[in-house]
Amino acid sequence: MSKISTGRFSIEDLENVQITIGKIVGAIEKKVEEEGDMGPTPKPGVSGLRDWDHQVLSRYQPVYTPMCDQCCYCTFGKCDLGGNKEGACGINLGAHQSREFLLRVITGAAAHSGHGRHLLHYLIERYGRDHPLDLGPSNLLAPNVQMVTGIKPKTLGDLEEAIEYVEEQLTQLLATVHMGQEGAAVDFESKAMHGGMLDHVGMEISDLAQVSCLGMPKSDPDAPLAEIGMGCIDATKPVLLVIGHNVAGVANMIDYMHENKLSDKIELGGLCCTAIDMIRYQMDTGGKPYAKVVGTLAKELKMIRSGIPDVIVVDEQCVRADVLDEAKRLSIPVITTNEKIMYGLRNRSKDNADTIIEDLASGKEAGALILDLDLVGEVAPRLALKVAPMRKEKGIKALPNDEELAALAAKCVHCGACELVCPNNLEIMDAMKACVEGDLTKFEILHDHCVACGRCDQDCPKDIPVLDVIEKASQKVISQEKGVVRSGRGQISDPEIRQEGVNLVMGTTPGIIALVGCSNYPEGTKDLYRLAEEMLKRNYIMVTSGCSAMDLGMYKDEEGKTLYERYPAKFLGGNLINVGSCVSNSHISGTAIKVAAIFAQRNITGNYEEIADYVMNRIGAVGVAWGAYSQKAVAIGTGCNRLGIPVVVGPHGSKYRRALIGKPYEEEHWKLYDARNGETLPIPASPEFLLTTVETVEELMPMLAKNCIRPSDNNMGRMIKLTHYIELSQKYLGQMPDDWHRFVRTETDLPLAKREELLKILEKEHGWEIDWKRKKIISGPKMKSDVSAQPTNLKRLCKGEC
Amino acid sequence: MVDATKNTLVYTTWGRKTAKPVNPNVAAKMVSKAKRPLLVTGSEIVDNEQLAQRAVAIGKKGVQIAATGHSITVFHGKDVNAKYINIHALAHYLGDKNWKGFDGEGSYDMIVFLGHKKYYLDQVLSGLKNFSDLKTIAIERHFMQNATLSFGNLKPEVHVEALDEFIENL
Repeated sequence: MSKISTGRFSIEDLENVQITIGKIVGAIEKKVEEEGDMGPTPKPGVSGLRDWDHQVLSRYQPVYTPMCDQCCYCTFGKCDLGGNKEGACGINLGAHQSREFLLRVITGAAAHSGHGRHLLHYLIERYGRDHPLDLGPSNLLAPNVQMVTGIKPKTLGDLEEAIEYVEEQLTQLLATVHMGQEGAAVDFESKAMHGGMLDHVGMEISDLAQVSCLGMPKSDPDAPLAEIGMGCIDATKPVLLVIGHNVAGVANMIDYMHENKLSDKIELGGLCCTAIDMIRYQMDTGGKPYAKVVGTLAKELKMIRSGIPDVIVVDEQCVRADVLDEAKRLSIPVITTNEKIMYGLRNRSKDNADTIIEDLASGKEAGALILDLDLVGEVAPRLALKVAPMRKEKGIKALPNDEELAALAAKCVHCGACELVCPNNLEIMDAMKACVEGDLTKFEILHDHCVACGRCDQDCPKDIPVLDVIEKASQKVISQEKGVVRSGRGQISDPEIRQEGVNLVMGTTPGIIALVGCSNYPEGTKDLYRLAEEMLKRNYIMVTSGCSAMDLGMYKDEEGKTLYERYPAKFLGGNLINVGSCVSNSHISGTAIKVAAIFAQRNITGNYEEIADYVMNRIGAVGVAWGAYSQKAVAIGTGCNRLGIPVVVGPHGSKYRRALIGKPYEEEHWKLYDARNGETLPIPASPEFLLTTVETVEELMPMLAKNCIRPSDNNMGRMIKLTHYIELSQKYLGQMPDDWHRFVRTETDLPLAKREELLKILEKEHGWEIDWKRKKIISGPKMKSDVSAQPTNLKRLCKGEC
Repeated sequence: MVDATKNTLVYTTWGRKTAKPVNPNVAAKMVSKAKRPLLVTGSEIVDNEQLAQRAVAIGKKGVQIAATGHSITVFHGKDVNAKYINIHALAHYLGDKNWKGFDGEGSYDMIVFLGHKKYYLDQVLSGLKNFSDLKTIAIERHFMQNATLSFGNLKPEVHVEALDEFIENL
């Protein structure tokens, strides 16, 4: 019997008949079996990696900071769990917090995976199941998918099986959130880790599908630059504003505008990851995106309230729930294009474009739900062209004028209600007082710190539209908000990993810092720029994505250049790489997996635990989600954590309810096995956490340098990392770090320029024995320097154990 | 005498157990009575000279300072006993009876907070409230509902006055 394979087949003698075989049950598994490289945990179930999680969690213990001491999940309650009491179902506050954390993680994972499923479905319909995955010069196409599921996808259709696995597992995880049942916090934590891991698979599927089909840059370090900022929007043209995370609908708008020669007649701006992805669309062959990025979620309400958009199109995820209400007040029609957001609008998916445009332009209906994305592609641009002159003619007034601004500020009675409800407790009263005296500078500073949530408006007893006041008072700085952002380049390619892998594992490139996540910053957007600039100068590899990638492009040096213009985008030290949108974060974890696969020749297929063990002990990477606010951000972070990558979030991240922090003073937790012989190997307390919060960037910078230290560093690598740790601590905290000596194994680990000085300190303050003739350490360090050591958490990987 | 207890308005609640509003002299007496008090400072003191001076003054009374964020920069050369630590790690260690403290003498029994972001400290205190037996006092400008004792919501100038009274009574 001949072998059947997937693909499209014509049958002789039967005209117009084509058979498509999309999937053969067990085919992928059979292929892997033939290749003989399937690891021990393909498609792990909820308990499949539990041992790994428990091991990790014994060192990095959960630290709970509840947002609420109560549980209101079922009708037994609500229950007061304060003081870690048990509720009516028997759950205590610790376990409930881990359950709450799990719920956030799987919500985020579902958002990415739902996005992936939608895109995959849409793109398969359009391009077919056998459309090849095309991601640039890489053989390892889907590191997360392959490591977790054992599947080695080559086509769009191959991704379906992987997304089905994710969906099934997410359902199982959601089931565990039901009242009662699980009582052990540690097992909720393990489940959360599972959800985080699934998130990276879901994200990877989303981005592989769109990069392969939508002409996005493919591992391209020269991906083009695009304009960014509220100030770069040309309001003299009809303005079409897109908001969300799913580029499918926008791609059709861009096509329609191109085909109908409207590209220079309509201003296309975007917020959040839809914006990031639309500047990637069809950029794989170069060119300059004409679509512009307005900015992050923090600009969403301000952009709408400005009255500049003529039409708003939303898709999914980070989109405000009140877009329709806000837009309605300013006669801006809204089109919703995804089942996740429908705003109660009438479904017009089967209506013709002319009728929809007429109904929306006339104001008969405030918006429309259009799920047919081809129709969206036509309606949105045409509607913008029609509505823009009508809105101008009507004289739609958005923000207050100068006189009204002064009057509104004068109305303020300085009761402090706005400051109490402000997420950042911004000093609005002071700014109001200054505004009355004609000084707008305080509001201009507030503008950058304000996340535009609008809670102040809701609570003002004098009905002052506080957000409008902030925005109006800051018009000068808003008009100057113009920068550039590099289009997302997608994966790090296999050849790049081959070139840089050794430097990462040996530590001679001091580390990878991944700046990811949202815009809920503690002190405005510039901190991110300061952080990136400092670490780039120090030769760290800076990887970025999503909202962080946007905000990095908003600041310029004295020569008027942004970081994207100053630093190249290759996978090398001192480079700044924008991988893309939210779902492109999978390429960051994917990079770590690729280092294990390509540089270290580890088998990654269905082999999660071994790869996570490798990443944790050898790759000095730290994620920073400085303004993380969403459930998606915590899902991404948790996926990194299971893979052994530590993550720092800003102070708002404490509201995720739990951190994972080690205790450097408990020496028994800082030991590994040497895989060469199974002997115990003391290691430095780094990373000292898997998830923690930090208050300021000044505190963050030395912490990042420290937590890039890994047991595998060679002497040169450790010296470089220690140099940065010490220098950053001196620069930003004004002192030598208290614990620098704990990372010293031998004198060659010491920063060269300070070696003698540090040896003296080691002798005097720590009692180490020094041979001053040879300037060598005789005794003192608790660790040996041995570059041949094979650090591992897994006893089974030690020689003689298998 | 400053009445620091009048305004205890909160934006959202955490649960049933809420801080008792406290006046500066009472708070100071409780700290004085503690065996191992600890002042935890946040970065809000860095650019606020008034708060920085008061934090140093508390340190000069012999209270160990845990300088979180980058607040350690305030204490260099000030002859106080201050150590840098990340606040989330500190909260973790404070709940651990095996932690030996900054001086190896053991953990602390009364934790005082000054100069923190309100929302951040709310979370840290929520953890300590629910998972430790520690007594916590917030001498902040805002009412910190998850502390054991807290000043109420104060205007900046009244807050400074309250801190002075607190220091006087230490």
